[in-house]
Amino acid sequence: MGFPAELELLKHTDNVNQLLARYGVKFSIYKNNQFKEQLFPFDAIPRIIEADEFAYLERGLKQRARALNEFLNDIYGAKAIVKDKVIPEDFIFMSKGYMAECDGVVPPKGIYNHISGIDLVKGKDGKWYILEDNLRVPSGASYPLIAREICRICCPETFRDIRIDDNRNYAKMLKKTMDYVSCGGLSVVLTPGRFNSAYFEHSYLAEKTGAKLVSGTDLVVEDNQVYYKNYNGRKERVGAIYRRLSDEYLDPMNFYKDSLIGVPHLYDAFRAGNVAILNAVGNGVADDKGIYYFVPRMIHYYLEEEPILQNAPTYLPFYKEDMDYCQAHFDELVWKDVSEAGGYGVVFASKMTEEQKKDFKAQLAKDPRRFIAQNVIDFQDLDIIDKDGSRVPRKADLRAFVLLADEPMVWHSGLTRFTTKPDSFIVNSSQGGGFKDTWVLSR
Amino acid sequence: MGIITVNQSDCLFWLGRYIERVYTTLRMYNREYDRLIDETQDSYGAYCQRMGIPNIYSSREDFVKRYPFDASNPDSIRSTLDRAYDNAILLRGELGTQCLAYVEMTIYDLKRAETAPAPLIPLRDLVDHILAFWGIVDDVIDSEQVRSILKTGKRIERIDMYARLRYDAGEVAHEIRRLSGRIPKTGLNYDQGTIDCLMALGKESPLNYGEILQKVDEIGANLIR
Repeated sequence: MGFPAELELLKHTDNVNQLLARYGVKFSIYKNNQFKEQLFPFDAIPRIIEADEFAYLERGLKQRARALNEFLNDIYGAKAIVKDKVIPEDFIFMSKGYMAECDGVVPPKGIYNHISGIDLVKGKDGKWYILEDNLRVPSGASYPLIAREICRICCPETFRDIRIDDNRNYAKMLKKTMDYVSCGGLSVVLTPGRFNSAYFEHSYLAEKTGAKLVSGTDLVVEDNQVYYKNYNGRKERVGAIYRRLSDEYLDPMNFYKDSLIGVPHLYDAFRAGNVAILNAVGNGVADDKGIYYFVPRMIHYYLEEEPILQNAPTYLPFYKEDMDYCQAHFDELVWKDVSEAGGYGVVFASKMTEEQKKDFKAQLAKDPRRFIAQNVIDFQDLDIIDKDGSRVPRKADLRAFVLLADEPMVWHSGLTRFTTKPDSFIVNSSQGGGFKDTWVLSR
Repeated sequence: MGIITVNQSDCLFWLGRYIERVYTTLRMYNREYDRLIDETQDSYGAYCQRMGIPNIYSSREDFVKRYPFDASNPDSIRSTLDRAYDNAILLRGELGTQCLAYVEMTIYDLKRAETAPAPLIPLRDLVDHILAFWGIVDDVIDSEQVRSILKTGKRIERIDMYARLRYDAGEVAHEIRRLSGRIPKTGLNYDQGTIDCLMALGKESPLNYGEILQKVDEIGANLIR
């Protein structure tokens, strides 16, 4: 920190925010049963990562994404990791993300996690820790992408004076990923619609990649082929679907039957190998918070390598020794419900009342598989400019993006999310967090 | 761009209509606002009647405030603009972020105008944004079909408004000619007989505004099905 040119950018914060409003950089939330669109608060002080440090992260992120892809191929295939007792079968077949329908179905080119959003934090000890892997529909890349574009307009001298890796190649990387697995035909971005919290991102990435933005009603499946249909019935074949809706809503004929936003028989076309779905169906089993614990073991097992990046110290109460530790150190731990996401289901034991602790321990005893516990990582604060214009430290994480095509690609940027509340660790936008650009220095 | 869906053609058509409605009502409002400065007798009731909207206003101050800015009033300029936005937001792929930005800015500046001591100044910015929107539509949208559906919505709305407001016959006839030249470029299904009938109505003297209104709305209703 402390680059003069970075400080120069701060003088243009108002201009940056005006342009973010102009380009409609928003996310949506439902509050008190009301739909609200709001600007995603942007902080102009970037997270800065040195080139060498990012090179290390890049190696670790590629390794992790490859291992997770191997795991998904294995779990829906031979299940060797279970047979070899590296991961207990309970953690796989009882996971909400495991989909029996995917068993034996191999996606095009054997790629499941085309786009991985991997959340990391940097501890005060200077080490990076993986917090979680998001392999279903990770969102957030569009925000630093457009923020960089805008910051370059508002303060060109900053980007002339500091050599920063250009992050505007994300759309090219995404297009390459879609093209690599496409079964021939159009590429589309399938959105649940404009009332989805990340609709801005869906439409922006569609525009930037040249893919068509479609909703479920725009697609039709005939003879196990997916088509995009126009107003007078003309149809064009679809080869790749970057879907932004979750597995259960994708296809009412194969999954949740009341889904109105999916495409009937889409999964049949996928199963027949006629269309690529990015990310593949069934990935939820690999980004389950319970499975997270086992990712270092997967790296050993599939890649025969030492994990480059570390997990946050995690305990599975499912194992007796871990349960013993958790009970002895209950107050020091952060507890996560493995079935929740978006910052929900995360509780710091130190903030629970005695009554809450009692209730929680009862739930834990009843269903230990449902929870993981982690040591609270004292992660580094990043400065933000608060509403009063003061520079204050706040907790922040980093969502890095890894794309798998013919080779793994790590985006030289990422979504840095921060909490606006001084005593909070929860950075999710749905809970009031904001975002920063992530600068990877070129040298 | 390639093929477009029923939903997209519907959104393009209605975006064209709503943007035009905002544009024309803003111009009308500017005139009305100016008139209300001098008048001792309130004329906003007559304005509402001409526009075919209910007069729900209790005073000229109430009209001046609520007609442009009240999001809960379905006939306000703000509500019309919200509906334009609802369609535009679904069309980023067809319009592009740069073009969509002019709709975003129109909303942004309408909200700004609400608290301005002299609202006509920021409201002028809205007119500028809408003109820029149409400019960028011509400049960057490659697909003639997309441009034509948008502009067909615009022409239909304009004829509708001009007929309601009893505009000069020459202007109405001019807009009818532009519409009849535009519709075939949309690639949508249409009835040439109804267009010919509208063309004939545009040549009558005096104009039968009621019939023109009916016919143009019929064309609009049957275009996107």
